[in-house]
Amino acid sequence: MTEIKKVAVIGAGVMGGAIAAHLGNAGVPTVLMDILPKAAKNRNAIAEGALEKLLRTEPPAFMQKKAAHLITAANVEDHLDLLADIDWIIEAIVEDLKTKRNLYWLIEKVRKAGSVVSSNTSTLQLAKLVDGMPERFAQDFLITHFFNPPRYMRLLELVAGPTTRPDAVAVIRDFAYWCLGKTVVPCNDTPGFIANRIGAFWLQCGVAEAVDEGLSVEEADAIMGLSMGVPKTGVFGLLDLIGLDLMLKVDASFAEILSANDPYQAIRRDMPLLSRMIERGYTGRKGKGGFYRLKASGRESGNEAIDLTSGDYRPTTKPVLESLEVGRAAGLDALIKHPDKGGRYVWTVLSQTLTYAAALVPEIAGDVHAVDRAMQLGYNWMHGPFELIDRLGAGYLAQRLKNDGREVPVLLAKAAAAGGFYRVKAGRLQHFTASGRYFGVPREDGVLLLSDIKLAGKPLAENGSASLWDIGDGIVCLEVHTKMNTIDPDVFSMIRKALEIVPSGYKSLVIYNEGQHFSAGVNLGLALFAANVAAWPTIEDLLMQGQEIYEALKYSAFPVVGAASGLALGGGCELLLHCDAVQAHVESYIGLVETAVGLVPAWGGCKEMLIRLSVDPRRPRGPLSPVAALFETIGFARTARSAFEAKELGFLRPTDGIIFNRDRLLVDAKTRALELAKGYRPPDPIRLTLPGPAGKAALGLALRDLRAKSEATAHDEAVAGALAEVLTGGPEADPIEPVSEDEVLRLERAAFMRLVKTEATLARIEHMLATGKPLRN
Amino acid sequence: MKSVVIAGYVRSPFTPANKGQLAKVRPDELAAQVVKGLVKKTGVKPDDIEDVVLGCAFPEGEQGLNVARLVVFLAELPLSVTGTTVNRFCGSSMQAIHIATGAIQMEAGEAFVCAGVESMTRVPMPGFNLLPHPRLYESYPDAYISMGFTAENLARHYQIPREAQDNFALASHRKAAASEAAGNFSSETIAIAHRGETVDKDGCIRPTTSREALAKLEPAFDKKGTVTAGTSAPLTDGAAAVLVCSEDYAKRKGLEILARIRSIAVAGCPPAMMGIGPVNATRKALARASLTLDTIDIIELNEAFAAQTLACVEELSIPLEKLNLEGGALALGHPLGASGARITGKAASLLKKNAAKYALATMCIGGGQGIATVLEAV
Repeated sequence: MTEIKKVAVIGAGVMGGAIAAHLGNAGVPTVLMDILPKAAKNRNAIAEGALEKLLRTEPPAFMQKKAAHLITAANVEDHLDLLADIDWIIEAIVEDLKTKRNLYWLIEKVRKAGSVVSSNTSTLQLAKLVDGMPERFAQDFLITHFFNPPRYMRLLELVAGPTTRPDAVAVIRDFAYWCLGKTVVPCNDTPGFIANRIGAFWLQCGVAEAVDEGLSVEEADAIMGLSMGVPKTGVFGLLDLIGLDLMLKVDASFAEILSANDPYQAIRRDMPLLSRMIERGYTGRKGKGGFYRLKASGRESGNEAIDLTSGDYRPTTKPVLESLEVGRAAGLDALIKHPDKGGRYVWTVLSQTLTYAAALVPEIAGDVHAVDRAMQLGYNWMHGPFELIDRLGAGYLAQRLKNDGREVPVLLAKAAAAGGFYRVKAGRLQHFTASGRYFGVPREDGVLLLSDIKLAGKPLAENGSASLWDIGDGIVCLEVHTKMNTIDPDVFSMIRKALEIVPSGYKSLVIYNEGQHFSAGVNLGLALFAANVAAWPTIEDLLMQGQEIYEALKYSAFPVVGAASGLALGGGCELLLHCDAVQAHVESYIGLVETAVGLVPAWGGCKEMLIRLSVDPRRPRGPLSPVAALFETIGFARTARSAFEAKELGFLRPTDGIIFNRDRLLVDAKTRALELAKGYRPPDPIRLTLPGPAGKAALGLALRDLRAKSEATAHDEAVAGALAEVLTGGPEADPIEPVSEDEVLRLERAAFMRLVKTEATLARIEHMLATGKPLRN
Repeated sequence: MKSVVIAGYVRSPFTPANKGQLAKVRPDELAAQVVKGLVKKTGVKPDDIEDVVLGCAFPEGEQGLNVARLVVFLAELPLSVTGTTVNRFCGSSMQAIHIATGAIQMEAGEAFVCAGVESMTRVPMPGFNLLPHPRLYESYPDAYISMGFTAENLARHYQIPREAQDNFALASHRKAAASEAAGNFSSETIAIAHRGETVDKDGCIRPTTSREALAKLEPAFDKKGTVTAGTSAPLTDGAAAVLVCSEDYAKRKGLEILARIRSIAVAGCPPAMMGIGPVNATRKALARASLTLDTIDIIELNEAFAAQTLACVEELSIPLEKLNLEGGALALGHPLGASGARITGKAASLLKKNAAKYALATMCIGGGQGIATVLEAV
């Protein structure tokens, strides 16, 4: 993996710039080049401008500020010689064959032997790109197609030509996999590769059929969002995100390069509405709006959506369809059979899209699993097309197509006869191949997936909220599987169970799940319910239980490793804080966010953070320093926006591991757990030197300034005051009399109970539950 | 009583905290280079120096311990020269001058280096471990009031509108920019060497700022208030030093005398109105010199805030054409511990340069104090 030491990205557009940013995230020095701007004094202006923009992008393109320093802005007129010591040169310029090839000749003159050149093209084929180029170039050339935004989209489509060196492919594949965290899907050299080929078909179909069926954009998005597991966007919302102009370009290029009998040609149509919208600046979210827009002017504000027939904007309405209700209750199966326009819409779009996908294997990719991964990771579909077919029933789909008098693709017919595209045989997931046989779904070397383990056996213990799995080599995995993996009393029961089971013949515990998030924290609904009936003892008991169980994990005789990914908030963050070590996916968003709902961390979060910051030798000395830092971090409910940021804020220790590839999280956490098990000794409790009332007064001063600046509300002040009381060690604390961990836990509980009884805090909790957003009151 | 004079003034460039060119320079090193520069420029014989009196408002971290003594070592002064660190917040290095003045008049030494330093980058306000007395904080919170609010209080009490504050800040930048362009600062500035590079230019002055740009700024402390970042002295890194000696000594050694120290004073005021501190301090100092303000030709009043300066201007009836001729702290910056030496040295230099008779240097101090020094031509 050490072969790629320096990378160059040529083309500082949206994709090129963001690819460079992600290379910076990976810690690789990267040159970002573009052409000379017209009549500009600063010859690097384009690349520099792109970098500046990337620093402000939302969601952030950079994982930490430091990453931006690794990127050097340059231009192709003055700095081509910089390419001489570059290991991987990524071309991400305009989608024009001639321009690209002109650039390749320039690159070829300066690049060193053994370097690799790749194109980020989404529409051009490799064969055309290397046609007429020297042999050396063709051998070192491949297509690496990133998805936008490259930091967050895990798919990398990789196309190698017939003469591409296998070791060049391996170097890039390994680098993308290990260092950039990509799932690399090998594609054949066909137009649009996998994801865009099927994705564009689906989008075209989704728009055209919505118009034909007379669905509003809200209805279409609700239905499609539900069926594909893309609830936030659906089809029209996704187009707004991608950009309507880009959609038209992609369509034009497919119309040109796909053969006349490709089904895409039959479903695609010119869309005058889209052209009109683009002309008026409605290119999507990057423009004035798209199918949706935010009405900012006038007396009322709110969302508007376009009427697909008139082309006028009108206020959005909540879609009401029987099929939608049925789908929500009974799933895709029921939705697609429903006779109303929603059901018909899903059937038409899905049957065409899935049939199209089935007809494209093995033309575009070696196997159906590759196609499924591409659609999941490139288009965020919850399930890939072949998984969807299996959910509907391959037999059902084939039969219904037949009933409709439509052609059934060969692969689908075969799979239908065999019983579907996937099956579990001897505890192993297998997929159906064009040869008519099933093969094991391939996994990367060493990868351990809980989903595979689950297929092979039964849990050691389970309840409605969590399970314990034997993941081999003496390691037990605690899996939380509530909604958003929130923590509830059943999770506590399972931790208690783990505390029994692990010492009875196992070495360590790993806390891990394969959902989107590690844990969004305590189940607030339960807390609110208890508060509404003034069941204060119940709440206090829940606090006690959480503190005791987390303490028990921390001081247990075996090591506990947390495997973080996605959100780890509030009580979820506190669970991580009590682990002996954390292995974090780089996209971990860790934070103590209790103040946002008018509370303070009370499952040991304040205590653990005080311990960490107090013992961190890099932080300034003195009793106030850790307290002041935490007052800010917890008081402002700051959530780290990457695992690197989590280290800066102290949620992760300097020794905690950060990895880029999500698929390796469990195996890495397990490895760590095995290492720690050798001669493990639980940590010693420490006493904390805290400033007491003097520190509270100091924080009070800071708070007063915030109030004056109107940056804090009256209730913010109350919450921050309670937090200050905990962090400073309470009224009896004094710098010469260190405070015990138990005392800080007691203060946490007292502050929490005081706050949870206030109207303003309850209003915050209710608002969070209803809207998912914090209330400022 | 012995006549005490100022026989030399230097300072480092003043640069913005955190982003300026001195951000990476340790304050003890910064002060030492300035003290060394003063010794070299004045020609004072190092063995004759009785004491280095160094002002610093947050004497901890890199400007902690007894930083004055460490500056003696860093500046390679003889070991016989002592060092003492003085804290009167913003008035620290003017206080250093007052201490030397008193000592000389007690015949407890003939030559003193009176300096000041603050790295507001490396030791940010309010220091690393603020631990207020909890009972005092409860019973008399004004004891710990933050400076922005005191400026708002004065703006309200003296009804100083936002526009007047903006205009005053703009004028300060204009004067400073003109002085810089005319090269007026080059004779007083000691270039600071750091890792092979030299810092010799001020960094806070904004020659291109405009009424419009200032008017656009949001209030910095009180959302409903009038005081902005543009009408507050910027957080600054810098050091300054003056040579204070007996007139006899200066004449005997042939040193260039800038001004005689005629009188000194400090005065307290309510902490919530700390910016008005210069008024009573000035009145006391003038009375001790048997002078009235209209006889003063040159006035250096430290511009902590535009509102604060304008309040003093009103109370003392200061003619603006005598005030801060080469720009004030709003433009140049205000490295807390260093500003007292700067404005006293500046007033002495201007007195000499303009061949004037009397000068006044005065400043407000957090916690509710003022300090003033009256100078006269020799």
